[in-house]
Amino acid sequence: MKKKNSIMGMAFFGPALVLLTIFLFLPMVLTFGFSFTDYFALNPELTHFVGLENYINIFRDDLFVQSFLNTVKFVVIIVPLQCGGALLLALAINKAAHCKKYFKVAFFVPVVMSLAVVSTLWMQIYSPEGILNTLLSHFGISAQPFIHSASQALPSIAIMSVWQGVGYQMIIFLGGLQNINPALYEAAEMDHATGWQKFRDITLPELKPLCVFVFITVTIGAFRMLVQPMVMTGGGPDHSTYTIVYDIYETGTVNWEMGLASTMAIVFTVFVVILTIIQNVLTRDKEGRKHVNKKAKAD
Amino acid sequence: MLTKKQKRINWILVAVLLALSVFFLFPVIWMLANSFKPDAAITADMNSIAAFIPPALNGNFFENYVSIITDTNFLRYMVNTLLYAAILIVLSIIVNGLAGYALAKINFPFRDQWLMIIIMLLIVPTETVITIHFLIIAKAGLLNTIVGYILPLIVNPFNIYLFRQVFVSLPDDVYEAAQLDFCGPVKYFFTMVLPMSKTVVATVSVFTFLNVWNDYLWPSLVFTSSDLLTAQIGLNSITSNENTTMGQTLAVITLVTIPVIIIYSLFSKQIVEGVTSTGSKEG
Repeated sequence: MKKKNSIMGMAFFGPALVLLTIFLFLPMVLTFGFSFTDYFALNPELTHFVGLENYINIFRDDLFVQSFLNTVKFVVIIVPLQCGGALLLALAINKAAHCKKYFKVAFFVPVVMSLAVVSTLWMQIYSPEGILNTLLSHFGISAQPFIHSASQALPSIAIMSVWQGVGYQMIIFLGGLQNINPALYEAAEMDHATGWQKFRDITLPELKPLCVFVFITVTIGAFRMLVQPMVMTGGGPDHSTYTIVYDIYETGTVNWEMGLASTMAIVFTVFVVILTIIQNVLTRDKEGRKHVNKKAKAD
Repeated sequence: MLTKKQKRINWILVAVLLALSVFFLFPVIWMLANSFKPDAAITADMNSIAAFIPPALNGNFFENYVSIITDTNFLRYMVNTLLYAAILIVLSIIVNGLAGYALAKINFPFRDQWLMIIIMLLIVPTETVITIHFLIIAKAGLLNTIVGYILPLIVNPFNIYLFRQVFVSLPDDVYEAAQLDFCGPVKYFFTMVLPMSKTVVATVSVFTFLNVWNDYLWPSLVFTSSDLLTAQIGLNSITSNENTTMGQTLAVITLVTIPVIIIYSLFSKQIVEGVTSTGSKEG
């Protein structure tokens, strides 16, 4: 029986395992290994072990440092707008007594569109004689260059990205709001709690784990920014919208410098893994505290 | 019942949300309305409310759409993508489903360790390995082939985990009864397990379709030959062509979005449940 199980187990798990090995385990090992070499894919015979040189060099490389800072700027603009916007929308729609279904669909529409579609659409919206500049001119605002200027391109793409993504997190928050036990609010009403008190003492604490989840997933999402600048600006003007993943992609697949690209990929992965661990610790901590509270009450 | 004051607040809230939703959707409304216009009309309408209103229905109403379908390879890109999605849906249900079943129900050596590894793999972002995927596929001489595009996308730790979570709650006694009937384990998987788990099969299919349809980076790396392009890459090659008009650009991006809208409206319940459950489960 035991033998039969191990044969059957491997027969079922085998196909996945083969593919996992070729397309996940092997690439992870190779990325890590290449990051300590000057592996140049067009001339692999000349590969040397260079130790930590790549890790030092990428942070001396102006372009990588800029792409890193740009990525941080994307995160700093996108995260508060998208998380805050999604929470406010969810709270308002949850409270509204009419047209709920329409609001949910309306704010979710951009989520349905692909990154390439949204980027192409907004290239038209942001064009110098485009609809946005025309609308702004009615408010007496002069024409803006948007994605065609080094100072406005990054915020323009960030705001477009928030526009596209905010509906997704809104749906997550709406799910969370509907899961809050109504008895909590009824009890609070008996104590004559004000709306603000109910929000501060019931809604926010109940939504806290979800807020952590949304905050981290949006941060990771912004950290992975690539397709929008690739389609809209090609990383420009003056590399002002060049991001870490863009740099990994160009270094590895355009210049074939797999050693350097692997080093950047490792640095990128470390950041993403740290963020994921923070999320797990924060949410687990909450459950742990709940458990302790329960225990304390029981004692 | 709402008090008078609450009613008034509600109406203000609804009015604000309505205004906000119109403002929020202006790019989409503009896209739809102007995809039916020639460029001269798009520019002429820009300054008035007509910018958000489709033109009167006449013989040229669908001109942009017709020219995109007849003058470019766009329809072919759409069909390509549907084909890739169909192949990947079948393969990913088989490969990830079998693996999920093994992790849920078969007591093979190191099963719990494998499950731990699968869960840990969920953290690894695709960007970490995509350059190596490109290297492997290039070295294998599979660039510009459908096989080269599909191979790295079949196995997916998230889908394995999803299948495993559903299969683990299937009753064991059905399996024992099936064994008495000399029903082979593989036959049992396809004739009993999968049909009993229609929801997870639907979820994996929908998300696989959306991934294939919307993916940009991987197909742009693998495909350079114009015959094999996916809709997203084809869209980019059409819109970056100088001869493509603004109206045609808007028509292309509308066309690319239509299949996704159909999928979302057919499976909105599963998708929203999927979205909200990832939130509550992880959070």
